[in-house]
Amino acid sequence: MELTHELREHSGLQWVLDRLVPLSPFGRAAARAPRWYGPGEEAALADELDNLALSLSLWDAKQLPEPEEQPCCCDAPKAVRPKEPPLCGVTRCLPLFHDIRGSFDRDPGNPFDLVELFEIKHFLVTLEQVQQAYAALPPFAGIAFPPMDAALALVDPDGRRLPAFSVLSSYHPGLGPLREQKARLEKTIRAASEAEKPALLEQRRELAVREDQLELLVRRDLTCKLMEYKADFLANMDALGRLDLIFAKTKLARRYGCRRPVFSRDGSITLRGLRHPQVAEDLLARGEAFTPLDLELNKGCTVITGANMGGKTVSLRSVVLSLLLFQCGFFVFAEEARLPLFHHVSLILADSGPGAGGLSSFGKEVHLLDRLLQHTRGSFFFVALDEFARGTNPQEGAALARALVRHLGTLDCVALMTTHYDGVSDVATAHYQVAGLVREIDGDEHDDPRRRIARRMDYRLLPAPPGAPCPRDALRVCRLLKLDPELMELFQADL
Amino acid sequence: MKKLLAPLVGDASPVTVIGLCKNAGKTTAMRRLMAELEEECLGLTSVGRDGEGTDLVTGTEKPDLYIKAGDLFATARGMLPLCDVTVEVARLTDVMTPLGEVGVFRALSDGYIQLAGPSAAGQLPPLCEVFASLGADRVLIDGAAGRKSLAGAGIEGAALLCTGASLDRDMDLVVAETAHTCALFASRRPEHPALCAALDACASRFALFTPEGAPLELPLDEAGAPRWNKLPRRRCVLWAAGGITDPLLKTLARRGAPLTLVAADATHVLAGRAAWDLFLRSGGALAVRRELTIAAVAANPWSAYGWHFDPDQFVSALRRVLDLPVVNVKEE
Repeated sequence: MELTHELREHSGLQWVLDRLVPLSPFGRAAARAPRWYGPGEEAALADELDNLALSLSLWDAKQLPEPEEQPCCCDAPKAVRPKEPPLCGVTRCLPLFHDIRGSFDRDPGNPFDLVELFEIKHFLVTLEQVQQAYAALPPFAGIAFPPMDAALALVDPDGRRLPAFSVLSSYHPGLGPLREQKARLEKTIRAASEAEKPALLEQRRELAVREDQLELLVRRDLTCKLMEYKADFLANMDALGRLDLIFAKTKLARRYGCRRPVFSRDGSITLRGLRHPQVAEDLLARGEAFTPLDLELNKGCTVITGANMGGKTVSLRSVVLSLLLFQCGFFVFAEEARLPLFHHVSLILADSGPGAGGLSSFGKEVHLLDRLLQHTRGSFFFVALDEFARGTNPQEGAALARALVRHLGTLDCVALMTTHYDGVSDVATAHYQVAGLVREIDGDEHDDPRRRIARRMDYRLLPAPPGAPCPRDALRVCRLLKLDPELMELFQADL
Repeated sequence: MKKLLAPLVGDASPVTVIGLCKNAGKTTAMRRLMAELEEECLGLTSVGRDGEGTDLVTGTEKPDLYIKAGDLFATARGMLPLCDVTVEVARLTDVMTPLGEVGVFRALSDGYIQLAGPSAAGQLPPLCEVFASLGADRVLIDGAAGRKSLAGAGIEGAALLCTGASLDRDMDLVVAETAHTCALFASRRPEHPALCAALDACASRFALFTPEGAPLELPLDEAGAPRWNKLPRRRCVLWAAGGITDPLLKTLARRGAPLTLVAADATHVLAGRAAWDLFLRSGGALAVRRELTIAAVAANPWSAYGWHFDPDQFVSALRRVLDLPVVNVKEE
């Protein structure tokens, strides 16, 4: 499935991805396009989640210092200490890598220049350290580093692992004698008078040209030999990227207290203590707290009703975010999650910006839905719809929403829809209602209206019987938002 | 060869060679300094090559430097094919130039190199540290030429100012321009410690203080620009971040009230001599937040455009007006 820009932004997935901090260029590339695990890839996804759990346990091992052990030694010299935190050996190497994938995208006849050879040597020396540190860890599923000893021997023939590269005289039998001859000449030039210099410099130039030609031969030869290992280079970079992404996901899960979801075999969704991290952070900045949600969704369409500003849209976004994160191999922002794998996950928001191509908001909604229904024919999909058909007249809109709920009930899907229309929940598989404006509070008339509403609102989702009428809270919400009193009077009189 | 420049720069590092104009003899001075410092392991780089790209790529105009085995140099990786020393790649920096990243290389033989280092002065101090970590005894920077790009000298250490007949046909004018630049570099920090502390903490574009360092309100117009005609009439101190230009100096001079202008360092004064003299005549003074040092002035009596000054006459004319050592780098 393609994770479109719209879906990433609306669900909050992009917000989460932006908070990943991979350490290497390979990890950053992997984080930009996370792998999507669809139905049938349960085993691969389970491996990824196992890797995350393993990494998390190793990470936590670092947080439990054994007696007399020093804290993390990331900046300390790399003396091997038996009590070193387990992941440190790998994580301290990751930021040292440069992205050298571009160097391998070449015709083998086109030789690497000196700087490229330097970067390849730097990569291989650092990789060797990663491989040694990785070998000491319990194995991560599906992540292996093909050995590169032969390639390293090519760029570091004397095995000194120095962080510098030059075309050594040992690479070509002609280089040593030529360089000695040139060095003797250069010594003569240093001592020569100004009058003698031009002739000597001309001699030197000829030797320098020959040296350059020999160095070119060596570079050609090295390039041919190194390019034979191209697949291994790329496989190592891929493994580095995947490992780095696992560490980044681990840090994220630790920071936000994410939990490992379990597979749901019957296609139902169970979420307890669900939250949306982006909304939660906004709330926290305003000094408020996110109310965790509990939801159980079975096949068919579940309907959520409730007061305006009661968090209905946030609950849709939270569910979609959990599904997307799960299918991208992340832990989720919930206390407990049981989730299936869908072929397709989508979110249709009522106010998803101006309609393109001359479509009104209603037109766009219908168009998106139609495209979805055509795309997902014969597949198992999830769709979240925010106040579907609210952009048309209430009578027809309600009928359309009801029809859609009925229709979704016949398809192989799990759907979640919010609505203000009465009668829609009658035909739904299940019905949730926002607990709503339940608290009576006086004496805060001068406070921020958003806070006043938040103070009175119980954001929990409570199971409601099918057909329970939608709450009539628009008047109270308007009053709390301090709508013009004259208008309020007319509004009230008309009700 | 007589040691002419080495005693003048002493132990200073980095030494930046700057020129008042193109063909002021920068490369000659650099070569001479390198020859005089042959015992030291040098780290060489350059700054600010804007507008010289074509010359650099074709290698036609920019003369080569001949360095000795063991020296280090930092240049864009694209320049490497133009260097004929045997090279060891020692480090790759994250400084990007149009000719690729700047790498730090060690010469394994004597030979010619071409320099194209970082173009921002702020990238030089980290590079100097890299040189030091790789064993360089001293860093030499080929600074840019031209009045408006002395920025390469805006780092610690000492500068070697090259001036010469290429600047103008009129020797008196060349001498006056050189004296002007030296006078700017001679600017010192204000004496009052409280004022120094207040200036060091300044982050805004402009700020106004009393000579004792007490902040004064700077009158602003609707657009947020200072209203220069509303400045107090008694002596006050104006901090100006960024470049100090002709219009600013002329506006301040027109007020006719005494003012001490404080720039980040001498290289930030971009205004010409005429505006500068006007400002001084109206009671203005310059102080700097960071002091810079010109170790010596290297004079080149030969121009690239066909006219030449008499070497002795030129050097003695410079010596008459300057407090700094003046040398003719062509002198044996």
